[in-house]
Amino acid sequence: MSTERVRSAPRFRITYQTALLTLMVVLVLVFGLIEPVFFQPDVLFDVTSIVGEIGIMALAMTFIITTGGIDLSVGYILQFAAIVFGVTFTATGSLPLAILLAVLCGAACGLVNGAIIAGTRIPPLVTTLATMNLFRGLSFIIAGTESYAGFPEGFKKLSTTLVFGVVPIQFFYFLALFLIFHLFFVRGSLGRILRGIGYNEPALIFSGLRTKRTLLLIYTLSGVMCGLAALVYLGRLSSAKTSMGNDLNLQVITAVVLGGTSIMGGVGSVAGTFIGVLIIGILRKGFTLLNLSGNIFNFTLGLTLIVALVVFAALEERKKVSGARMRAQVRSAPVGPPDRAAPRGEAGRAPGEISKVQ
Amino acid sequence: MTDGANAAAGGEVVLRMEGINKAFPGVQALSNMTLDLRHGEVHAVCGENGAGKSTLMKLITGVYQPDSGTMTLNGERLVVRNPNDAYAKGIAIIFQETSLFPELTILENIFMGHELTRPLPGLGRFARRLDYGSMRTKAGEIFGRLGMALDLEARVTDLSVAVKQMVEIAKALSFDSRILILDEPTAALTSKEVDTLFDTIRRLKAHGVSMLYISHRLDEIFQIADRVTVIRDGEFVSTEQVGRVTRDRLVSWMVGRTLHNLYPKEDVPIGEVVLEARGIRQKGVLDGVDLTLRRGEILGLSGLAGAGRTELALVLCGLSRPDAGEIRVDGQRHAIHSYREAMERGIVYVSEDRQKYGLVVPMTVAENVTLPLLRRISSAFGLVDVGREQEITRSYVESLSIKTPGGDFVVSNLSGGNQQKVSVAKALATEPRILILDEPTRGVDVGAKSEIHRIISDLARQGKAIIMISSDLPEVLGMSDRVLVMKNGRKQGELERGALTQESILHMAL
Amino acid sequence: MGRKRIVTRESMLGTIVAAFMLFLALSTNFGTVSGLYSMMLDVSPTIVGAIALSLLIFTGNIDISAGTILGFVGFTAAALAKAGYPAVVFMSAGLLVGVLLAGLNGWIIVAFRVPSIVVTLATNMVHIGFYVTFLPNAGWVLNLSRSFTWLGQGRFFGVVPYIFVIALLVAAVTIWIARYTQFGKTLYAVGGNRQAAIYAGIDPDRTVLKVYLLEGLLLGVAGILKATTANRLMPSVFQGREMIFIAAAVVGGVNIMGGSGKLLGAVFGALLVYMLSITMIYMGFQDYFQFALQGVLILVAVFITVTDFTALRRRFAGALARGGP
Repeated sequence: MSTERVRSAPRFRITYQTALLTLMVVLVLVFGLIEPVFFQPDVLFDVTSIVGEIGIMALAMTFIITTGGIDLSVGYILQFAAIVFGVTFTATGSLPLAILLAVLCGAACGLVNGAIIAGTRIPPLVTTLATMNLFRGLSFIIAGTESYAGFPEGFKKLSTTLVFGVVPIQFFYFLALFLIFHLFFVRGSLGRILRGIGYNEPALIFSGLRTKRTLLLIYTLSGVMCGLAALVYLGRLSSAKTSMGNDLNLQVITAVVLGGTSIMGGVGSVAGTFIGVLIIGILRKGFTLLNLSGNIFNFTLGLTLIVALVVFAALEERKKVSGARMRAQVRSAPVGPPDRAAPRGEAGRAPGEISKVQ
Repeated sequence: MTDGANAAAGGEVVLRMEGINKAFPGVQALSNMTLDLRHGEVHAVCGENGAGKSTLMKLITGVYQPDSGTMTLNGERLVVRNPNDAYAKGIAIIFQETSLFPELTILENIFMGHELTRPLPGLGRFARRLDYGSMRTKAGEIFGRLGMALDLEARVTDLSVAVKQMVEIAKALSFDSRILILDEPTAALTSKEVDTLFDTIRRLKAHGVSMLYISHRLDEIFQIADRVTVIRDGEFVSTEQVGRVTRDRLVSWMVGRTLHNLYPKEDVPIGEVVLEARGIRQKGVLDGVDLTLRRGEILGLSGLAGAGRTELALVLCGLSRPDAGEIRVDGQRHAIHSYREAMERGIVYVSEDRQKYGLVVPMTVAENVTLPLLRRISSAFGLVDVGREQEITRSYVESLSIKTPGGDFVVSNLSGGNQQKVSVAKALATEPRILILDEPTRGVDVGAKSEIHRIISDLARQGKAIIMISSDLPEVLGMSDRVLVMKNGRKQGELERGALTQESILHMAL
Repeated sequence: MGRKRIVTRESMLGTIVAAFMLFLALSTNFGTVSGLYSMMLDVSPTIVGAIALSLLIFTGNIDISAGTILGFVGFTAAALAKAGYPAVVFMSAGLLVGVLLAGLNGWIIVAFRVPSIVVTLATNMVHIGFYVTFLPNAGWVLNLSRSFTWLGQGRFFGVVPYIFVIALLVAAVTIWIARYTQFGKTLYAVGGNRQAAIYAGIDPDRTVLKVYLLEGLLLGVAGILKATTANRLMPSVFQGREMIFIAAAVVGGVNIMGGSGKLLGAVFGALLVYMLSITMIYMGFQDYFQFALQGVLILVAVFITVTDFTALRRRFAGALARGGP
């Protein structure tokens, strides 16, 4: 496994994920010391249940952020899918139909995002900023301010069973999906394409790869994941209202960034996201046990995201400097046509030039 | 056609460079360079691609600092710390586009950063506002000096390249620049626009502006310049009054080097025609180009920067659509709509800018090489077959002698030459029949250069057809079976191996 | 040689707005005094907010925590007013809060070179978390007296709200700043071509920082304008408001990628967005349709700005511009 890591990721990332893992353990210890009940297995495992939906969405988000994009609409796709589920079930009483429509709804939303991002020059940021409102609006339109409840026991079981009496079943959903995503990311051609798009999309096009199709795929995938996550969420909370989606975005993005995926794209880690999600779960559980409200949690999470971004940005700036210098020399050429004699792309520096180029 | 050229545009020297040296890792860009610019003259600087013209200009405008040597301005020692400093000292360079703000108006562009202001009534010293009136007046006056009238409220992005250039000139003049550097200014202009530009230049002369005119277009130099300096391989060759040189003289100065025949080109049987292009046209770029390529042949594509070689290549490999013309592969007419399709027909293109278009730098050698083959080396599930990947990578590392500790090494750690080899390996991985190599040895050290040449020869021997775009004349001469010289988007001429000399190529290219 | 164009995007927008108003006035009760009053009241903070965001967008940045900043501003002003401080004090405090919070965003963006979208996404959450947790009563302030609401509820001639006049004044001043100061030009420069801006002697980092501070000030104004219209303050009301500001800016012709656009356009955009939304209300759609509307508006407006229609026609196949078959 470690050789595999060496292949596709700079060494910095291996040690990073180990550090993250250590952080996770430390957090568990800290919370446990303050509130010993934290160490009890059922409490500890409960952590994984509350992050079932975050985790599922974060996996797809990792793919998206690796390509240098972002999807701000995930929380609202989930909300929309959940509402669709509620409405369908209440109207028809058919569980399978409701499930199907919820997932399809997610897929459709993701498809909209993907189509706009792949097909037009509107950047992912603006696109999902806009669609986030769109989906939110749509979910209100369908549901108004009603909430839907009364889902059958069997459905709830899907989300609340405890395997071996301790481990929530969501953990297994998450784990299973994680393994699949991880496999495709590290060993699959998809992973390479994603990293390539994030770092240098033209190079991939020059290799004959259909990058736009891949982008369409991953945004749609994200939508599907949101649909699945909606099901898990509903099963646990057993009601669907229109105020659900709001905090989820932050948790998903924080999990991914924390896990070591670069917000600028090109570098990503599904394994890191896995750990990131768990950390968020630990924080949430810990906060709940310590009687800290959900809002303090959001607050802390926001701070965590900022700190993570700042730290990564500083590190990447330093790492990127030599790479950027090379690329900057290539791109800048502000003074006339490039001089063939001056090597571009060598590790050479042109003193005095760098300060002018970002 | 020595229009105003031999009037002794005398006058004192305003700018002098002596003993200037500038080196970059692996390359001595300028050695012992000398240049002097006299008041009110148009001084052409001439040399082939890579001779050092751009580096010279960057030194004058403060983008680089010289390693040694002195520059003086009006007799006083000149040190230019950065481009802003250059402006402050009255030195300006005319870009083509990069330093304009597309969405802003001409007026805003001219005065950006140094707008004229006047005090707000009543608030006096405390607040100033932009004074559009005086800016318009000054701009009007500047354009008047240039002999044109423009709508100052027009947005720059709507303007043609020629007019944008005028805006750049006006901008320079708004700084009261006395020294103007024009770097290949006519590259994108129609002949009518060139006339207008020359008119402008003459007016500027009359106003006492001294100009350095960098160009390789000999006709123009004879038309507009007073003196001309030739640079070759970073060294000063000669400065002479335009009236006292001939075209041939200039060409021989530009070329005059001994040819080391180090090129491992073997004679290879040349087979049937694999690629044919007729009448390729692309607005503003290509003007009816014809080309034939045979198996086993290395076709050198020569010409100066801006002649349209890369543009032609992009058309041939499907990355760009021509407005007219047809391409035949193996005798059959195919419209190639995308690079993918080109790849399927066996055509690959290796870009001159490997960092930008060729490689994904943080990925490993193996990952880069197999990038075009991802589908082939993946199972139905989409998982990469590592064994196949390693196998393919290993074979290319060996056959191309790529110096890397292993296939799993990140490409950014390799030297330029080896990176280029990875780029080539990537292209070869799809087993193409036709390769278009754009500046294959650019930024590559001498040792790796000859290795890459060996590889290219080998490929020809294997029966592949190769188009090699290169600005390196010795390389073109040493490697090509035939050379196609382009100029201004047109095929200027074709030379067989026997008739290849540097002069003959340059004559056509200039 | 400065012939001013008559048919500009802004004049077209203005015409559309006027026509729309006429249409609404004739067909609904928009034309009544109370309808107009509602419009002026509602649209005033949006005008100021749209201008604030537009200035940012000119430089190629964004701030999606603007809504929560408004909440803080409102809270500060309301709480101080309730505690008995005079208007000068509570209003200045509100403005200050706006400047500080936006300035903090700007600092993080500039100092650490992190994209503004992600930073402000995070600070948005931090803001929400903060006021719900640390502010008394989760930031709610009730039973505000005339000492606070006189600004928001007062009118000239019984019709024109004070805040509308203030909003127009602010708009006039900022439009002047954008057009007649060097600072205004630097905003467009930094957003239009950062490299060229550097060559022109402009420091992009300082410019960006300054524009965030200015945004903060304007948000302070917008927050006070909005907060003083009611005698209770609930910060959650402001959450998500930035979407309307962005929609207004984008509809008004401000290019989301930066470098161009006019503040006057943003003002018209604010009016237009408002009228579209009340049209929907009149047509019977409830007001959560607003979200959907904003989303669609942003997409359409950005699409029009961002798509290079001539290039579409020439169809540069694959590679650099759009990639793919």
